[in-house]
Amino acid sequence: MYTRAFRYERADDLPAACAALRRHGEGARVLAGGQSLLPMINVGLAAPEVLVDISRVAEAREITASDGYLSIGALVTHRELIASEVARAAQPLLGAAAAHIGSARIRNRGTLGGSLAHSDPAAELPVVMTALGASYELTDGRAEREVRAEEFAITVFTTELQPDELLVAARVPVLGPGWGWSFREVSRRRGDFALASAAALVRTAGGILVEARLALGGVADRAVRLAAVEAALTGATRDEIAARVGPIEGISPVTDTGASAEYRRHLARVLAVQALEEACARSEGTVSGERGP
Amino acid sequence: MSPETVTITVNGSRRTATAGGHLSLLRWLREQAGVTDPKYGCGEGVCGACAVLVDGLPVASCIVLAAQVDGCEVTTAAGLRRPDGSPGPLQRAFHRSHAVQCGFCTPGMLVCATALLAEGRPLDRQEIREALHGNICRCTGYGPIVTAIEAAQHELAAGAEGGAEPS
Repeated sequence: MYTRAFRYERADDLPAACAALRRHGEGARVLAGGQSLLPMINVGLAAPEVLVDISRVAEAREITASDGYLSIGALVTHRELIASEVARAAQPLLGAAAAHIGSARIRNRGTLGGSLAHSDPAAELPVVMTALGASYELTDGRAEREVRAEEFAITVFTTELQPDELLVAARVPVLGPGWGWSFREVSRRRGDFALASAAALVRTAGGILVEARLALGGVADRAVRLAAVEAALTGATRDEIAARVGPIEGISPVTDTGASAEYRRHLARVLAVQALEEACARSEGTVSGERGP
Repeated sequence: MSPETVTITVNGSRRTATAGGHLSLLRWLREQAGVTDPKYGCGEGVCGACAVLVDGLPVASCIVLAAQVDGCEVTTAAGLRRPDGSPGPLQRAFHRSHAVQCGFCTPGMLVCATALLAEGRPLDRQEIREALHGNICRCTGYGPIVTAIEAAQHELAAGAEGGAEPS
């Protein structure tokens, strides 16, 4: 409760926030929803000198769909993402994954950009963005650049963002005809970070899998896309998916107080198969109680 | 801009007090504004004891800075009373169902359940349990809390249909 004192500066807009980050240098951190950063400060894992608050700027709050892409502002809260009809219609995987984040209290404050920039390998949204092949718009207040989700996360809590850069928006392709989706995770308690998670997208035609996209969370130092598994699935029926997914390569799960590395490795495959099967069923329109894509 | 003081409307009354950039909303409420019903539990936003409503939505006040909600309306459990100062329907239901033992989680439970009931969709016991998974109680085993919320839901629904409010 009694944190080391730090200064607080509220930015009027994003360029002003970038300028403030440049001015304050190394001791400054960006504060958006604060639902990861403030707990870390409270328990002593982070000790910034200045927080530059962007949570009240007017920008980066829109969710729009056009030209086959869905664009989501970095300051959209998880609650707003889940509630957005535009997002649900364009890419339902996002809201389904966001519903797993924390509790309602956390989802009311936590933001998309905050979650992505924090780069916790067990967080839900980076996994979904990786599966979707998202790209992120970054700005330093003077110039913009675009970075693909897979290149954005470098390792635990480390991203492509320069010290004076902010994530402005994420752009994902709209769910196309014939595609199904699924998000699965296992956590110790509801709302906890996932021990492992899987996001899958599958396109079928005539009962045959044509294309698949799969990403896993919690089993490496960042969300990982599994191109080898995806490739091995082409031509499979839903019943053949489990047999086609072998041991998962390219992951490096760790042992911690939550679970052993071995158990995480086990979960990786189980969740991958479950997510692929469910995505396949959705693609075929056989998941009850839902409208087709 | 670096506000030295913040003004927050707490349970209907405007309060202005120094924030110091690093002061959480919880500390500001308890130490600067003298509002002590939100409790410090985990400090990580996990346990629910510090929950308050900010502009109607529940937040964990231990992981929100007071400066971030400058100008907002905050409601704590104490603000759930009726205008005449008597307990509101949910508070009465907690009392009737004996949904309180040590009481530490109760302010957060009341606040989160208030937001849940305000959504207006009918909930069964399982759905109430799921919605409050982020509010930890170490005494009651949750049964009486769920019973109280269920009872308040029925009372509010009956009230909305113009039925007599049970005393």
